[in-house]
Amino acid sequence: MAVATASDPSPIQVLADVGKSKSLRTLLRVLILCFIAGAAVSSRLFSVIRRSSPIAHSKRRMVLTAACFESIIHEFDPWFNFRATKYLIANGFYDFWDWFDDRTWHPLGRVTGGTLYPGLMVTSGAIYHALRALTIPVDIRNICVLLAPAFSGLTAFAAYLLTNEMTTNTSAGLLAAAFMGITPGYISRSVAGSYDNEAIAIFLLVFTFYLWIKALKLGSVLWGALCALFYGYMVASWGGYAFITCLVPLHAFVLICMGRYSTRLYVSYTTWYALGTLASMQIPFVGFLPVRTSEHMPALGIFGFLQLVAFIYYIRSALSGAQFKAFLFVGLGAVFGLALLALVAMTSAGYIAPWSGRFYSLWDTGYAKIHIPIIASVSEHQPTAWPAFFFDLNMLIWLFPAGVYLCFQDLKDEHVFVVVYALFGSYFAGVMVRLMLTLTPIVCVAAAMASSQLLSTFLSVKSPKVKDPEQEDATDSSSKKAKQNTGSLRSANSPYVGVYSFLSKGLVSGIMTIYLLLFVLHCTWVTSNAYSSPSVVLASRMPDGSQHIIDDYREAYQWLRQNTKEDAKIMSWWDYGYQIGGMADRPTLVDNNTWNNTHIATVGKAMSSSEEVSYPIMRQHEVDYVLVVFGGLLGYSGDDINKFLWMVRIAEGIWPDEVSERKFFTPRGEYRVDGDATETMKNSLMYKMSYYNYHTMFPPGQAQDRVRGVRLPDTGPVLNTLDEAFTSENWIIRIYKVKDLDNVGRDHAAAASFERGHKKKKATKKRGPRALRVE
Amino acid sequence: MTSLTSFLLLLFTAVAQAISSSGSRLLVVLEDVAEKAHYSKFLGDLEGRGFEVTYETPKSESLSLFHLGERSYDHILFFPTKAKGLGPNLTANLLLKFIDAQGNILLALSAQKQAPTAIVAALSELDIHLPSERTGLVVDHFNYDVTSADEKHDVLLLPTPGALRPGVKDFFSPATPNDEVIAFPQAIGQVLGNGALLTPILRAPATAYSYNPKEESEVLGDDLFAAGKQLSLVTTVQARNSARLTVIGSADMLSDKWFDAKVQKVDGKAAIATVNREFAKRVSGWTFNEIGVLKVNSIEHHLNEEGQGNQSNPKIYRIKNDVTYSISLSEYEWDHWAAFKVPAEDDLQLEFSMLSPFHRLSLKPTVSSEESTTYSTNFKLPDQHGIFNFKINHKRPFLNNIEEKNTVSVRHFAHDEWPRSYAISGAWPWISGIGATVTGWLFFVAIWLYSKPAGKGESKKNR
Repeated sequence: MAVATASDPSPIQVLADVGKSKSLRTLLRVLILCFIAGAAVSSRLFSVIRRSSPIAHSKRRMVLTAACFESIIHEFDPWFNFRATKYLIANGFYDFWDWFDDRTWHPLGRVTGGTLYPGLMVTSGAIYHALRALTIPVDIRNICVLLAPAFSGLTAFAAYLLTNEMTTNTSAGLLAAAFMGITPGYISRSVAGSYDNEAIAIFLLVFTFYLWIKALKLGSVLWGALCALFYGYMVASWGGYAFITCLVPLHAFVLICMGRYSTRLYVSYTTWYALGTLASMQIPFVGFLPVRTSEHMPALGIFGFLQLVAFIYYIRSALSGAQFKAFLFVGLGAVFGLALLALVAMTSAGYIAPWSGRFYSLWDTGYAKIHIPIIASVSEHQPTAWPAFFFDLNMLIWLFPAGVYLCFQDLKDEHVFVVVYALFGSYFAGVMVRLMLTLTPIVCVAAAMASSQLLSTFLSVKSPKVKDPEQEDATDSSSKKAKQNTGSLRSANSPYVGVYSFLSKGLVSGIMTIYLLLFVLHCTWVTSNAYSSPSVVLASRMPDGSQHIIDDYREAYQWLRQNTKEDAKIMSWWDYGYQIGGMADRPTLVDNNTWNNTHIATVGKAMSSSEEVSYPIMRQHEVDYVLVVFGGLLGYSGDDINKFLWMVRIAEGIWPDEVSERKFFTPRGEYRVDGDATETMKNSLMYKMSYYNYHTMFPPGQAQDRVRGVRLPDTGPVLNTLDEAFTSENWIIRIYKVKDLDNVGRDHAAAASFERGHKKKKATKKRGPRALRVE
Repeated sequence: MTSLTSFLLLLFTAVAQAISSSGSRLLVVLEDVAEKAHYSKFLGDLEGRGFEVTYETPKSESLSLFHLGERSYDHILFFPTKAKGLGPNLTANLLLKFIDAQGNILLALSAQKQAPTAIVAALSELDIHLPSERTGLVVDHFNYDVTSADEKHDVLLLPTPGALRPGVKDFFSPATPNDEVIAFPQAIGQVLGNGALLTPILRAPATAYSYNPKEESEVLGDDLFAAGKQLSLVTTVQARNSARLTVIGSADMLSDKWFDAKVQKVDGKAAIATVNREFAKRVSGWTFNEIGVLKVNSIEHHLNEEGQGNQSNPKIYRIKNDVTYSISLSEYEWDHWAAFKVPAEDDLQLEFSMLSPFHRLSLKPTVSSEESTTYSTNFKLPDQHGIFNFKINHKRPFLNNIEEKNTVSVRHFAHDEWPRSYAISGAWPWISGIGATVTGWLFFVAIWLYSKPAGKGESKKNR
């Protein structure tokens, strides 16, 4: 143990010296990592357990109430994952693999087993069975709810490992782990209850990158194979695996272009590609995509290119300079040209699918809006707003460029990776809100490198004492300083850079500490306020400040579950498909797995057309109930009238002759729902269902839509083909029953008007030619 | 003791059970209950067939079609009344509600009495239109009864209707038609819309027309209500729920007088007896569900493949499965269920459909017994997964609707249902390629491991 030679060691120094022991350091590091994991997990529990308010109990004990939200699955996609996991648990793996789901996409059904990423469900299934084997019976719902927080702890650890590969400064790794653990950019997708693919995918992403760096550094087949294994797991878990599939080849390509080709690169890349591609092809949903789609072509291309480069390096060792040059130009040019030609030919012949629309929208943010409205209609596919970067990453966003800059100072292969990742990650995060998630890990790593550099420079207790070389010699063991001391001539060549003044040290490290504390505060605040509400349950404040829970969604889904036949088909916009399937357990026409654009457009057409057009569509699809979300009474802006234009656009994409977006706008180009709305708008099924009987809630002339902020006409729309079946407490969900055909063969309008007491006009009084009956 | 009485009661109900397939409570609405003597033979026939007849006038306060939301009667028979309205117990709404509740209505009208507004409104909802003056009289100067209407030509003599079209069973002619005639006195004609639910039983001859006898004009203008085949004299409506309504244009044809009247055609030599009684029996029998009623006894579908389980009505099939579908049908004939025979020109069809039919197959009779016939077919499921329906949609005139839908899921091939790779000859080059690679690698490893490096020390020195 290195004991300070100073006559009277300060307490700080003693503490610092304790940390110098290697085993103690390891212990400390493990402890710190455990604490970080604990912090990461607990900050994600806001959504399931919430302290009511920090009022101290009389016995100075915080009152913990689980009153806010219970252990519940959030959002939309998680409901499907949860349902799939339950199916897996109930029916076993093979049935899950071959699962044909006849309760979604009625009447097409969905080959669910072959169109999902099974990683998430299999992971929770494995945990469930492992716990049962240990005789710990845990409800599968609790496993699903808590899976994301549990994996966030692992992500923090993976970030630690990755950062340690970048820098020798171990504190950087710990900082990166801490950042990763609590940064809102990652928490947004991994709070308790957010049981989505990203929950485990981000851990796999970071860990795969760590293994890749490790394999590249060592040139080891073992690490390359491990990397491929985790890449396979990643492919099984999330569609975002394409990010790895493109980033790793890009890294390799940049290295080759920088003239950094090495056998290490060759070994690690070829191992990763061959094994990883084989692993990825085992997932039914991926299947032959790695050799058939353009997204996967870079990886294949670089694989071929590496063989070529390796061959050239071999030739160079055997040929003379001039011969080699000629060979290089002719051979390389020919091969490259041939490969490109083959790619173009195979793409045009249809063997290789061209870039998918989702990919085009990454380059041209306006592309999706014009060509594929269904992609553009998803809020998380919108371009990111600038404040979102600060909101999600706080101070990391300005530490991030500094960290990238530091990588240039010591530009090794792995630092090139950070630079490439940083560039691509920031571009994609700017294009799509959702891809903030893939940027977050590298931001944490780079920011940790920058801040640890700052801290280790300024937080050093010892100041360099150039004027007193003897003493320094005794205390310091760094070779640099030793050199400085021994060779006075060399001191001019490499001047020692350091901070001398204690004031500046204190100031900088103090400010840094404040920033870090603010960061923690910000993360906690964002997590608690923005990312922890399960969107199924809305919370609002009453005038007296108490919390008011708006539980219309669950009320309506429960109503469906208890009052409709088990195979009653529910038509709604696709956003609610997974929730209806998960919570109400009823078949739906379309859901959040938007695999069939035409089917969604059919629903869009039914919603945006008049009753006479919609009714046959609903009959043909055997629809029993129609569900709409209406926020007009409560001022809930995420309702169907606000999403309506997307339905119109998607339907127009398939039936441009029958549905026209223009007709929903007034001649002055306004989208209105009040008395001045266009006839098309007023006759559309969606408008009628939303505002049916709404004016009866208000005294005459006072009917008001609180979302659009407009006054509505006094006479509400008339519905002939639908009966109102259910309206939730705050009118957020309205459910209508589709009427059967009229028993005596009238059309619905005539039948409804007879019911209302209007007598039919006598057909015989009509002028014009007599209508004859023809057999 | 109680068990014995209840057993006797059960026996009694079994004996007194309706001859109709859908209940025996018949309500007869008359202007005056005493008027029933006028139709005593017709009503006697009905009672003789097992109907429990209740007589009411429209004004009766105890008259109510529904009790606690359930029908109080199974069938209603209306005779013409003088009153313009039928009162609050028999509104058009209630009549339609009665049809919606699967009640049957037989409506006898007369040219001499105005049809009540409720009935006109209800009929107009069904797309059956009466003359606007409500007193149109059908006359025919070529087919009238010489003995009774030599002057007015308003007693039509009509042949028995015969089959509506080929492939439709004829329910309304006597068993052996022999040029009998139906006397149709003082008829009111109906004009029908083009709805598929309407079917005329008896139409006016081509030379008949409807006019208002109160108008004195000699010339018929443009305001002619209808003429010829467009005039329906006996009209049926079968609602989607198979409730039946029949409009008879002449109440008098049901009266005792015309049941055994002798009539003489224009060119006829001798007076002949009418078949009004037989025709009335058949029309009322059809309306009150005694004939033309089909019943689905059972539907069964199962896998028709070697070595597979023979489970009945499974919920799920696989694409390209061979499947057998069968349906057992019976037809009610006056007092018993008999085997249903599809007419020669007709077909009983099965659709296997998802959004639109993938298969439309005619079913063939396989098993036939006294009481039922089983129709079935075998077919291969389409190469498309989804949620399909076995659908029977058999809607024929004068037969009640059969609309049966059995939903099954058709799944894709499971991962272990494909042929194995070695069973596909095209895969053999690849399989042998794998074999060659594996053996080659093993061979290489073996050589690598067992070949002794040449002089370790030397190579080190060489370096």
